[in-house]
Amino acid sequence: MISHSRASRQIVDPASVKVIGIGGAGGNLLERIALDGMDAAGLLLLHADARVLASCVIPEKIHLGKSLLKGLGAGGDPELGEKAALEVEADLRRAMKGQQVIFVCVGLGGGTGSGAAPVAARIAREEGAFVIVLATMPFAFEGKRRREQADVAIRELSALSDALITFDNNRMGELVLAKQGAHDAFAASDRIVCESIRSIIRMVTRQGLIHLGLDELMAALGDGRSHCLFGCGTAEGKDRSSTVLRQALASPLLDQGTLLKKADTVLVHLCGGEDLTLLEIELIMQGLQKFVPVDSNLLFGATVDPAMGPSLRLTLISSLPEGSVEFASRESLASAPAFEPSPPESREREVEPIFELDRTPVVTQPSPPVEADLFAARSVELDLAAEPDRFESFDAPAEEHHLEQEAAAPLKPAVSTKPWKKSADSQAGEQQKVKLTVKASGAQSELSLDSVPRGRFEGENPNVFEGEDLDLPPFLRKKK
Amino acid sequence: MARRSKIHVGIEIGTSKTCLVVGEVKPDSAIKILGIGETKSAGVRKGEIFDYAQTRACLSDALAKAEDAADVEIGSVYLAVTGAHIQGVNHRGTYRLPDGEPVVGPEHVEEARTIAREVHIPADHVYIHPIIRNYWLDGLEHSTSPVGLFGKTVEADFHVVHGIGTRIQNSIKLVREMPLEVDDIVFSPIATAQMALNRDQRERGALVIDIGGGTTDYALYIGGVITASGCIPVGGDHVTNDIHLVTNLPFSKAEQLKVTEGDASGDPARSVGTARLHDDRGFAEVEVSRAVLNETIRQRLEETLRLVLRQLPDGAVEAIGAGVFLTGGTSLMRGFDELAYQVFGRDIYRPESPEISGIQASFRDPRYATAIGLIRYALIVEAERVSPPGFFGRIARMFWPLGN
Repeated sequence: MISHSRASRQIVDPASVKVIGIGGAGGNLLERIALDGMDAAGLLLLHADARVLASCVIPEKIHLGKSLLKGLGAGGDPELGEKAALEVEADLRRAMKGQQVIFVCVGLGGGTGSGAAPVAARIAREEGAFVIVLATMPFAFEGKRRREQADVAIRELSALSDALITFDNNRMGELVLAKQGAHDAFAASDRIVCESIRSIIRMVTRQGLIHLGLDELMAALGDGRSHCLFGCGTAEGKDRSSTVLRQALASPLLDQGTLLKKADTVLVHLCGGEDLTLLEIELIMQGLQKFVPVDSNLLFGATVDPAMGPSLRLTLISSLPEGSVEFASRESLASAPAFEPSPPESREREVEPIFELDRTPVVTQPSPPVEADLFAARSVELDLAAEPDRFESFDAPAEEHHLEQEAAAPLKPAVSTKPWKKSADSQAGEQQKVKLTVKASGAQSELSLDSVPRGRFEGENPNVFEGEDLDLPPFLRKKK
Repeated sequence: MARRSKIHVGIEIGTSKTCLVVGEVKPDSAIKILGIGETKSAGVRKGEIFDYAQTRACLSDALAKAEDAADVEIGSVYLAVTGAHIQGVNHRGTYRLPDGEPVVGPEHVEEARTIAREVHIPADHVYIHPIIRNYWLDGLEHSTSPVGLFGKTVEADFHVVHGIGTRIQNSIKLVREMPLEVDDIVFSPIATAQMALNRDQRERGALVIDIGGGTTDYALYIGGVITASGCIPVGGDHVTNDIHLVTNLPFSKAEQLKVTEGDASGDPARSVGTARLHDDRGFAEVEVSRAVLNETIRQRLEETLRLVLRQLPDGAVEAIGAGVFLTGGTSLMRGFDELAYQVFGRDIYRPESPEISGIQASFRDPRYATAIGLIRYALIVEAERVSPPGFFGRIARMFWPLGN
């Protein structure tokens, strides 16, 4: 075989990738990344609050506005945040020197994030790095002022960055079940951001069979004033090609793939072990064709990475022009009027109508038309005439299963042990990977009794009720 | 509403049988069962449809039989639904009256009810019934709406039954394809309780357990109001399956053995020797030790009853004054009442079905309890329209906000 170097192509050295977290939200995200382990990328935390810096696990940190703010936060004032960042400009420049790709993770709306992120992005740009900004937009209930601050910051960032990905906190409620704690919701949202960073890093740092570089990423992300669509999935096993696609489309940012219908450029990146077959690639692309317009520009990339082992990973990145996304409105359950913190004209950046916010973010399913159905049904008890699902029916599992699965939402992308049923997939693709150790009694009895014949109920899902498989005779179960 | 006799039809698509009961409600609210259409179900497992086409065929067969037997044309029905996904929770909504309004107004009660109905249910679930249990006014229980009374805090106590929307929709779709209109859907144990319990028994506290082919449904009434309801996905099918797995007999033999020989009482005297099934020529073709057979059945049923017991709220069993009422096909198992007594320690009854005329043989059978219960449910819904609202409830309430 003739070997030749393709190093001149845009392969980024993993060591020259840096993830910068700014402010409270950025810090949380960095901690999540640090806990999950990020291959070779450097982490840097910028924060104004000395206490946060002291307690944070990130090794590299820069204290913003040490003399200006005296170790306290920016107090929600972006101007202070900006001044604080300018005070340590030299340090920032030093930290960013020689980096090829810099991710700026920030939660907008507050002082430090909104103020310092544009400064950091500018410096990174000036240092010659490719700047990708991942910004989290504030909750609607945080009020008009924070939303406006976030909008201002977004405008600045879109001019200063090469690529801008925004995540809307208002959609966070869809990531988790109603019953789950707020903590889980935030963790799930962090995981999505983290996963997108990881996918992009993987895409640009690995030599691909069919290579995708930063230029394609820019094309897919549009001009930075657009709504980012992102989804990814990992699976292994026989039907991994269909599973990854389903997982990727299940991302709440894609709305079951419906949002891809309007995209004109879609970046598809596939990463698999050495057993990645052409047929699988074909199957995935065929499956994806149903979700993207025929005349769209599909930027396809594939990478073979022996480290992937038997698993396959699919990343979809695309963008929609601002304002083209209309999410199905989530009618409030409450008869009381939900607060309406900002008038419609301030919804410049985020297209989700603000008044949608429920008093309780109870929505889990990422497919809004279905939601709408269910909510409508809720208000009239049950609409007998309601149409069956427009989508493939998500045969949702019993409550316990949901919870188990949620509880098992992993910190590490532990490779899932078996192909997951569609039923379980309605969560963010990220949550598919399940650590068996966390999965409690249900999974255990399932494993240990696998070989037992089940008679009439052969081949069905185990009828687990309070940790016991009720389909097996108690006569046999109790003897053990 | 015009006071003349009205025909109601109840459908239960059960795991072992699909049955339609056609009942006539006389102007004096007496019920007469006109006819029953029944077929063996196929395509239903643990109360939920897994083979749509087969179930549809069964339903249309049962429908034809029912129309034939009752000599009426059936247009709309009440449908019983069950399945492990359906659960009932109690929820109380509290509303504090605004200052300067000392008298409880209809809007205040409505607000308390709205709050009470807003239970956190999973996103894919829908409400089946919000059943008002009672009202509280400043800590004092009121069984009717406290509109017009003086008070500061109104509370409404609801029992909310909810289940997975798409599964329920599929059951409805099946019925609508017959084509039949669905007047209302009812959670099975609630329908059964309409038949099994009278007002006095509900007042004193009663538990209805409907143990059918694929599911065990229960509803607990204490102090005249529903306190708990739910479904455990275990039924007679499991007993047969257990016998099959333990003894390695084919299903048909296991079923036959269960029906003809099984005993759940745990009485050692009834577990002596072997149980035999004879073939046409009188030869014993199946022989199983009674000890094994009875123990298999008993353990299954005991576990099921204990699961029901565990689902009930704390202290509920002590509050059962009237007793435990067993219905459903599996309750016909010999020794089942003794077993239930051992588990619950309360009086065990098979419900009588009073105030119903018609063909005695049909409604005496506990297997029809749910479908007949649907007729009584229909009668109650029709009669008070407002109070235990299923479905038209909200619409009805718009017109009669003072109701209840």
